[in-house]
Amino acid sequence: MIVTRELRKTYPAKRTLFRRSGGTETRAVDGLSLSIPPGAVTGLLGLNGAGKTTTIKIIATLLHPTTGTITVDGLDVVRDARAVRRRINLIAGGERMVYARLTGRENLWYFGQLYDVPRATLRARIDELLELVGLPDAADTLVERYSRGMRQRLSIARGLINQPAYLLLDEPTLGLDAPIARDLRAVVARLAQEGVGVLLTSHYLAEVEELCGHVYVIDRGRLVAEGSPTALTAGTRLPHTVELTLAEAAPAVSVAVGALGAEVETGLDAEGRPTYVLRSPDDLAGELATAVVRAGGAIVRLEVNPPTLEDAILAMAAPAPVS
Amino acid sequence: MSAALRVFAAEGLKQHRRIFGSKLVVFSMLLWPVLTLATTYYTVLPVTSAPGAAQRWPLVAEPGRLLAFLAAGALAYTFFFSLVQSAWHFSFERVSGTLEAMFLTPASRMALVLANGSSALVQNAWLFGCFGIAAALATGSLHLAHPGMLAVAALALLVPAVAWGAFLNSLLMFSRDSAFLYTLLDDPLWFVAGVRLPLFALPVWVKAIGLAFPLTTSLTVLRGALLDGRDTGELAGHLAFLAGLSAVLLGLTAVLLRVGERHAQRTGSLQLF
Repeated sequence: MIVTRELRKTYPAKRTLFRRSGGTETRAVDGLSLSIPPGAVTGLLGLNGAGKTTTIKIIATLLHPTTGTITVDGLDVVRDARAVRRRINLIAGGERMVYARLTGRENLWYFGQLYDVPRATLRARIDELLELVGLPDAADTLVERYSRGMRQRLSIARGLINQPAYLLLDEPTLGLDAPIARDLRAVVARLAQEGVGVLLTSHYLAEVEELCGHVYVIDRGRLVAEGSPTALTAGTRLPHTVELTLAEAAPAVSVAVGALGAEVETGLDAEGRPTYVLRSPDDLAGELATAVVRAGGAIVRLEVNPPTLEDAILAMAAPAPVS
Repeated sequence: MSAALRVFAAEGLKQHRRIFGSKLVVFSMLLWPVLTLATTYYTVLPVTSAPGAAQRWPLVAEPGRLLAFLAAGALAYTFFFSLVQSAWHFSFERVSGTLEAMFLTPASRMALVLANGSSALVQNAWLFGCFGIAAALATGSLHLAHPGMLAVAALALLVPAVAWGAFLNSLLMFSRDSAFLYTLLDDPLWFVAGVRLPLFALPVWVKAIGLAFPLTTSLTVLRGALLDGRDTGELAGHLAFLAGLSAVLLGLTAVLLRVGERHAQRTGSLQLF
């Protein structure tokens, strides 16, 4: 289990030889407590500048926390950094982190050597990973000849070379084609089933909804909410939108719809049929359909749009109103 | 130990791919030192033709030995400057994002910089090293007290060069603003280390600065062991100084790596470029 307790990270203001450069200290993470269990995908969400990448890099030992503790299976990431590095790996979005003048296979061999992966298994693991990310045919091609997506796929293979117990994914599907991104999601889900603990940040919230059982939402370095994607969305009390089209106008229906207590917008569609748009924190589709039928209305179309995780994140990250 | 050796193997492959991008590179590896030697020789020639030069520097009366003196200088300079270049290239790993990938691994940082330096040294200088030895043998310029002095000369060149390379790597790895070092260590290194001229011909303050660079003493040992027939007894003082200087450089490397990585972990500068 990865556990962070009251994690804070402040970047110092840059100093030049004779004076401060005019910048100020930046607090990127502010009292964050998270738990990332093995065998599950945990999401870390927030808008740009929320502190996601800083948090991931602290867990990855690339940054030190200003205060607070982080342990990986009981190992302290500052004191036992070397042991922690054997148990984790980080995959960041974009095509960086691989050598352009080495082939795909050589890149994986290089990092396998640095991780001291047993010689007996390294070759087989490289082949397996190249297969996994769909690069077996380009294995012996120089990376400088790879497309952006191919480089990113190789970067994913690099992140798996040491068979990490915990995988930190920072926008892993950034720039990937849809089919490759889908394959990667399948890989992540499989790794979690095999016992790997995954921490995922992504701007593709559908990806997070698909993969994550538990999500932490942070804003300006602070935890603002946590829970399952469904619970988070429900917790924001954002309106469900129900769109209704009737065959013809019926005054009794308008009364029945109004009685539901939702925010109602009425209008006509292109064919002159009456339409109702209802917004309510609760899903009123069932009640609406029943009320309309009882009032003698004939439903032509009924569409329900529940709030998405993206709506919820935006709502949570919205600045508090000035009182 | 086994893990460190694997880091050396990995860096060896990386350096090989970086340096040998095309076959022309192999050709240039020989051409560069030969041009360096020719430039040196014809730069020094007017000085040696000056009236009274032979009294101050007897070697100028013997063109064969003068050329061997300059060749030894060019050889040693090639070794040391290839490490400046290698460190310069190492600093670009930050830009490409691979420095972070490297620091994610549990590999020893000291092993990484030593491996990077020694791989660059072997790949950059092996051809000129072979050429130099073959030329010295063919022209009869070698004057050895005993064959073991070849090993002493090789060690006096390689060990401080690797320590120098590791030190430069640790310096450039964490700093974005150390490009000036490249300029600072090019021509001045030629001058203060006695590559073109004997140390006794240089002003005292230049000699004092030169002592801080391992190339200076390496070159004294190299010339003494290979060209002047001196043995370890005669070179003991220089060898001890060189060993001490190498130890200091390696010690500084260890400190810089620790301080540099902690600074990067505090400021997040590993990702800045």
